[in-house]
Amino acid sequence: MKEPIIKLDNIWRTYQLGKTEVHALRGLSLEIFPGAFVAIMGSSGSGKSTLLNIVGCLDSPTKGKVYLKGKDISLMAESQLAQFRGEILGFIFQEFNLLSNLSAIENVMLPMIFQGVSQEQRQKKAKEILVSVDLQDRIFHEPGELSGGERQRVAIARAFANSPEVIIADEPTGNLDSVTGKKIMEVLTNFHKKEGKTVVVVTHDAKIANYAEQVINIEDGKIVENHSAAEEYLWKN
Amino acid sequence: MEELKEYFNIAVRNIKTRSLRSFLTILGIVIGVFLIISLLSLSEGLKSTINQQLQAMGGEMVMVMPGSDEDFLTSMMFGGAKLQREDIEAIKKAEGVDKVLGFSYTGAVVRYKEESKQSAIAGYDPWKEGLDILNIFQGWSLDSGRWPSKGNEILIGSQIADGIFSKEVKAGSEMVIKGRKFIVGGILNSLGNKQDDSMIYMDMAIYQDITGEKRGTAAYAMVKLEDGLDENQVAENIEKALNETRKRRSGTDEADFSVITSEKMGAIAGNILGIIQMVIIAFASIAIIVGGIGITNSMFTSVRERTKEIGIMKAIGAKNSAILLIFLFEAGIVGLIGGVGGTLLGSLLAKAVEWYGQVHPIFYFTASVNLGLVVFGLVFSFIIGCFSGVLPARAAAKLKPVDALRRHE
Repeated sequence: MKEPIIKLDNIWRTYQLGKTEVHALRGLSLEIFPGAFVAIMGSSGSGKSTLLNIVGCLDSPTKGKVYLKGKDISLMAESQLAQFRGEILGFIFQEFNLLSNLSAIENVMLPMIFQGVSQEQRQKKAKEILVSVDLQDRIFHEPGELSGGERQRVAIARAFANSPEVIIADEPTGNLDSVTGKKIMEVLTNFHKKEGKTVVVVTHDAKIANYAEQVINIEDGKIVENHSAAEEYLWKN
Repeated sequence: MEELKEYFNIAVRNIKTRSLRSFLTILGIVIGVFLIISLLSLSEGLKSTINQQLQAMGGEMVMVMPGSDEDFLTSMMFGGAKLQREDIEAIKKAEGVDKVLGFSYTGAVVRYKEESKQSAIAGYDPWKEGLDILNIFQGWSLDSGRWPSKGNEILIGSQIADGIFSKEVKAGSEMVIKGRKFIVGGILNSLGNKQDDSMIYMDMAIYQDITGEKRGTAAYAMVKLEDGLDENQVAENIEKALNETRKRRSGTDEADFSVITSEKMGAIAGNILGIIQMVIIAFASIAIIVGGIGITNSMFTSVRERTKEIGIMKAIGAKNSAILLIFLFEAGIVGLIGGVGGTLLGSLLAKAVEWYGQVHPIFYFTASVNLGLVVFGLVFSFIIGCFSGVLPARAAAKLKPVDALRRHE
């Protein structure tokens, strides 16, 4: 049997707001297997972004264990974790989060710099990925000179720069119109199918969840449903 | 190594992106380093100027001048009270004193051919005997001409002969000082300091005639001791004799004159230079602190402004050390650019002062800029930059990626 690439075991995440304790995640457990396309759905305040941050090793749980490729990340030193994050994970954010003073190609090359990839290789690979997301004419443009859809495609190219095993996308179409959003999801799906990468998308949009093979619904920091898209289709019909 | 190069490039790009803020921070460092370099170079110049002056006055002679020990430097540089005829007579009579040479000087307009220049003129009393003393004990020697023997003959320093006027002044030439004609009897070899080399020497009686100063007085007196005597003992005798004369004259026993032996002169010079060094260090420290705070402030602002950027970099795999290095490079580069600007301006000021000192006949001041000082300015500013950047860089590196990404400032 396949080992899960991401495993969450009884995760609690508690924030202290003044004297009040807010439990964003309450004893959540989850397994994501390699090559899966998972959508995490939930309403605003349900804890889905907190869950994504923990899955992406951007935040640590108050209680519980997170395993990435079978390794307990709580035992890793900060620099080890950064290295691991850059190597295994690729991020796509709702607000694109590109560095405004770098051109498209420089943004894509940045994760490779942190992984010690040589300049020649960096340039070659960044160009290839940008061409594959149809940005061959925008390679040397800065984010300010690009449209929303183009920026998100640069962000996708950056997420794939180090050939990560897991792509984590937080509302990737949230800031885009429906036509552009659809195109972005097609790019993401193609990458997933072609490269066989694991994709975890957080969204509140049911249309986006339709691209996923596994849908996890969360509410008040707990998983209320975890099933495949096929099962959901069957239940609904 | 390649990573370091990339971090350096990112730092350079960040500086360029925030060009106005970077410029203002760099300006702060430029001012700080400019202050340090100009103060250090001018203080070096001041040190050598004072040393030259003291050496010129010292030798085997004892100096007597009006004003107390504390006012010694003021009276030396700016003149003021004069030794009176009775004072000079009292010194002559003191035990152990061989010869007394009165000396006064002032500024005057000197005309040579059709050209008029401001210069310093000095009178010695006694003139002919004084020249012998200066020749034997102070090492005066002639470059050309002869020792003056007539009243209207003058002796000029090497700078007066060649440097002040557009045409070289030769022995036997005619000069007009305060409307009176003089013949240049002889031209001295360099006496080792610019002040002495830029003077015109004459008989005290004539000096007092043309300047209107009171007969028999002197700005200070050089005393030659009898052979084999202890200079401190003779200095004491002179002090005693002067005190008695002054008491008789004004009824007070206030010591308003100074008897300076070479030993005492060395101590005074040491004290003065010590104070100068302290003041320089104090000013320089203030400049350094202000410049350093400027960098720290700018870097902290930069960390706050770029919190989200730091979060993004961490999310895509930047280690704490990478963030730390990028910010340190940024601070170091800002420091170094400021250092280059400050060193350049400081050196220019010092060179300008030096140039002015060379062309101006009675401005005896030099500045010293050497390679060591330039290297110090650059290395120092880079280190200050890095040092000031450490705290903000550490703060940036320690940010949790999730917290950094959430910020919207």
